[in-house]
Amino acid sequence: MRQLQSLLVFLAAILTFARASSDYHEQLVLRPLQPSLLLASFNFQSNTTWASFEQQNFRYFPRSLGQILQHANTRELHLRFSLGQWDAENWGARPWKGAREGGTGVELWAWVEAETDEEADGRWLTLTNALSGLFCASLNFIDSTRTTRPVLSFQPSGYHTNSTASKLHLLHGTLPREVVCTENLTPFLKLLPCKGKAGISSLLDGHKLFDASWQSMSLDVTPICRSGSEDCQLQITQTTDMVLDIQRSKRPRDNPIPRPIPSEELKCDTSKPYNSFDTCYPLDISAQEEEWSLSQIFGHTMKGSCPLAENESYPVCINVPHARDIYTSGAREHKDESGYMRCFELTPQEDFEMILPPQDLSERAPLEQPLLYAERSFIGYGQERGGVQAILTNPSPTDAVDFVYMESLPWFMKLYLHTLKAKINGNSEDVIQEMYYRPALDRKRGTQLEVRILIPANSTVVLTYDFEKAILRYTEYPPDANRGFDIAPAVITIGNVSIRTTSLLLPLPTPDFSMPYNVIILTSTIMALAFGSIFNLLVRRFVAADEAEKWDVRALRLIIKGAISRFARRFMKKTTKKD
Amino acid sequence: MPAETQLSAAQDPTVKDQGNHVAPANAVDVASARKEPPPERPESIRLRYLVLSSFWAIIIFLGLPIWWKTTSIYRAPLPMDEMMDWADGRACRPVFPLRISIEADSLQDHEAQNLLRTTQHALDDLNDFSAHHLRLQLSPPANASSNANELSTTAADEELALTIRLLKGDSIQADLQKYSPILDIYYTPNQIPTSSSSSSSLATFIANTLRQIFAEEQAMIAYLLSTSSAPPERSPKALAPNVAESLAKWTTRSMKYSRTYHLTFSLFTPTATPSSWDIEAALEDHMKPLLQSFSAISNFTIDTQVQLYATPGVSGNILKKEDLSGFINAAEWPLSPSIGGAPTINFIVYVGDMEVEGGGKSWLIPQWGGVVIQSDVSDLRPAMLTFSNQLMSLLGAPESGSLPLRLMTLVRVRSASLLLKASGTLGSLARLTIALPSISIPRSVADGVYTTIEHLRKTCDGLGGQGGLENARIAEEAAEKAFFEKSMVGQVYFPDEHKVAVYLPLLGPIGVPLVMGVLKEVKAWKTRRRTSKQS
Repeated sequence: MRQLQSLLVFLAAILTFARASSDYHEQLVLRPLQPSLLLASFNFQSNTTWASFEQQNFRYFPRSLGQILQHANTRELHLRFSLGQWDAENWGARPWKGAREGGTGVELWAWVEAETDEEADGRWLTLTNALSGLFCASLNFIDSTRTTRPVLSFQPSGYHTNSTASKLHLLHGTLPREVVCTENLTPFLKLLPCKGKAGISSLLDGHKLFDASWQSMSLDVTPICRSGSEDCQLQITQTTDMVLDIQRSKRPRDNPIPRPIPSEELKCDTSKPYNSFDTCYPLDISAQEEEWSLSQIFGHTMKGSCPLAENESYPVCINVPHARDIYTSGAREHKDESGYMRCFELTPQEDFEMILPPQDLSERAPLEQPLLYAERSFIGYGQERGGVQAILTNPSPTDAVDFVYMESLPWFMKLYLHTLKAKINGNSEDVIQEMYYRPALDRKRGTQLEVRILIPANSTVVLTYDFEKAILRYTEYPPDANRGFDIAPAVITIGNVSIRTTSLLLPLPTPDFSMPYNVIILTSTIMALAFGSIFNLLVRRFVAADEAEKWDVRALRLIIKGAISRFARRFMKKTTKKD
Repeated sequence: MPAETQLSAAQDPTVKDQGNHVAPANAVDVASARKEPPPERPESIRLRYLVLSSFWAIIIFLGLPIWWKTTSIYRAPLPMDEMMDWADGRACRPVFPLRISIEADSLQDHEAQNLLRTTQHALDDLNDFSAHHLRLQLSPPANASSNANELSTTAADEELALTIRLLKGDSIQADLQKYSPILDIYYTPNQIPTSSSSSSSLATFIANTLRQIFAEEQAMIAYLLSTSSAPPERSPKALAPNVAESLAKWTTRSMKYSRTYHLTFSLFTPTATPSSWDIEAALEDHMKPLLQSFSAISNFTIDTQVQLYATPGVSGNILKKEDLSGFINAAEWPLSPSIGGAPTINFIVYVGDMEVEGGGKSWLIPQWGGVVIQSDVSDLRPAMLTFSNQLMSLLGAPESGSLPLRLMTLVRVRSASLLLKASGTLGSLARLTIALPSISIPRSVADGVYTTIEHLRKTCDGLGGQGGLENARIAEEAAEKAFFEKSMVGQVYFPDEHKVAVYLPLLGPIGVPLVMGVLKEVKAWKTRRRTSKQS
């Protein structure tokens, strides 16, 4: 495991530092996960010099994004689109140490240069609106109630000169309700120099990406400078990570309904006494490696390599033991000494296919253990109050973990800070080191809570707090109000590693939406009733019952009869005249 | 309330009598079984009157005004007549007085005066369009070259359209200088008009040359006026069909005027090569000087991009005329307009060896930009020259004449078109206000209208100069802003059924007793009057 970790660190180091001088780089790392899953991590990185960015001469850096950044005075930008849940117990640590991952839905944070907070808010608004148009996402709904200014959790990853750093404002916004889909992938691909026409980006396909068990798209723009020199560059990094179900991906697209395996293809345990042509006990095949190929998983083969990418890096790598058989279409294989990683050097202009046959293999590439397991859920009951419980487990038997837990809650979830309790292994102990709390203002801003916690080795901290549900105004409910309100994931930061919990769905008391008309009718009726009685009391005269004018039904009947007969007579006269 | 007592509306015994009158005879016995209530006292009748009238008074003097106040829509007063005057061209008569100065140092003063008079006469004879008027003047004699700088500054104040320099030469000929608004006229000494003659060949020659130089501008302005809603007697005689056609093309081609334009230069290639181009140097050498000369009219910002793997919207090596509009693959090529409000002009170099049917490798897309197809991007000079031409026509500059003259013409034509456009917008706003009585008109719209009118007036007074253009731009902007006011566009829609549904539950139960009370009182009053007359 240590080997793998060192390898990943080495790869990350290559990506961040060695590439700083070059222009464009792309790499796909494949990692089989248990059971029958495949993690595919795409990474695209390009640089532009600060001078040509200022002059708006764009080459690999996308023009549309560059103009937005300049217009909104944004110095560093991080945008995330995520879907699904990472199963840390089975899949191990997150790819890129969670740094290229966001909470469910859309997450955006940026360092905006501005003199005052108001100016920063204005530029943030410009930024969210422009990005909303660029990525076809509802980013323009990140208003002041969804924006926070984290204090402990986020640090700029790029280099900022001291003069700009003092004017930088960090703004963070989330849209947990946003459903990430193909319309977000298309603009994402358009930002790449090879545009999904060549290289590893040709494997990205909306049908497969959004069918994944977990997926995350990220876009980071950071300024990087060599220390001590004025030679600065702007780096754009785009990543896409997805966990694909191999069985599910292998289903043909025109016939995606899962069907039982035909009886002749069943692998039966013949040692069972009842085994016969119509009785089968399936063999345990979990020891066997799954059979798959690139074209089965992604729908088609890879269309050569992107000619802009440098030659010294290998575009496709796979994290499997060296003993695993892999057949490729004429690519040169480079195995590294750790024993679990090999990369392929492609011939440009030629389609690349990789086939992994079924194989019995005792050895598996080791999983990296996450630093922390985190889960969060609602507790409590009723329409008025509720509670949140976050269970944070440190699996390491030796090392304590110091981390920052950040919650940004909507204003209608009114947090009671005095109920915030942290229990360690069931005992109340003071594990909260530091806290930053910014209370909500109704309809203006949400609650921001950042807590620094130290978990000793091999312990579990349960963090709980209570809240009250606010009653919203009639127009503040979304169209499907009974679905509930999405609460943004909590962000856990451990140094440069970050973990996000899942988002929560908060049911709020919802009114009957035909209410306004009912209210009008009801109040009108009551007012009319009151008015009618008072008016009649004032205007009418009280007399004895036998003095009252009686409503005579017979008289009315006679009047009607008389009228009818008069009318009939006139009609008859007319007809006789005609005759 | 005890069961025996009952609310009764019958206050007066005479009501019953009347009822008996109408009812058939057999109904009488039922009514006659009734006991008469004691007659009412006059003060109780008076009290009832007072109660009823105070209810009505509250409704009329308090309820109705509150209802009116809370449901009425704010409509700021607009100067409708003035707006319509502008729209119909009654408020302003666009006149473009062009000052042309004659520098005739080689001539005697009286000779020069004479020449000026005859030339002006010849010009007036030739001109049939009163809005566009060339006026000649003698420039003060430049007796010292050191004075030249001073002279040029005073001349700039008066905004001379052209300076004519009379020079002695071997034969009569005109030479328009390329980079300054100066026309050199060479003449032979015997062509100087004598003081007695009313015409001379030199004067006619100058007049014809001037007319030729300003013919395109005149046609442009005439076309603009003829397409606007100006009164017919003001627009000039009909333009020749072919001229009108080319001018119609010119209007569809040119971009809307703006103080700033954004230029995007893009390199599109169908493969991965070439992935870079030497655009910075090319822009510096071939584009920047031109943009510099435009600085009085518009500013420009520039960005460039390289896009690989870009397939055009049409296939094939020979592009047909009808394919050209589909060549730009709008769905895939990232050519979104720049943010910041300024209109974007796109210039595209496409790497390929395609050709337009009938030869040619470049074309202009009206109000959008230009395309050049080039197989090799090592030399960008031809592409940049094509783009310069395309930029000139996209900005609406005339096609003939020297650069300074074209730019000056552009200023005048742009002011005229902005003036007409702003006036037209004012008219539309006025008509909209009349047509939709339920639309609200906020204060800002009225302010915008007044700003527009103020600046239109200034424009009208100073047409033809730089200030006129600036005023026209402000006027046009204010007019557009007023017309597209957000709160006006989203008009409140309250259908009548909706109002009835909301009001009826309240008005029904309250209105019925009130109205019935009045009717009853009126009836009672009538019968009382009748009985008092009878008695």
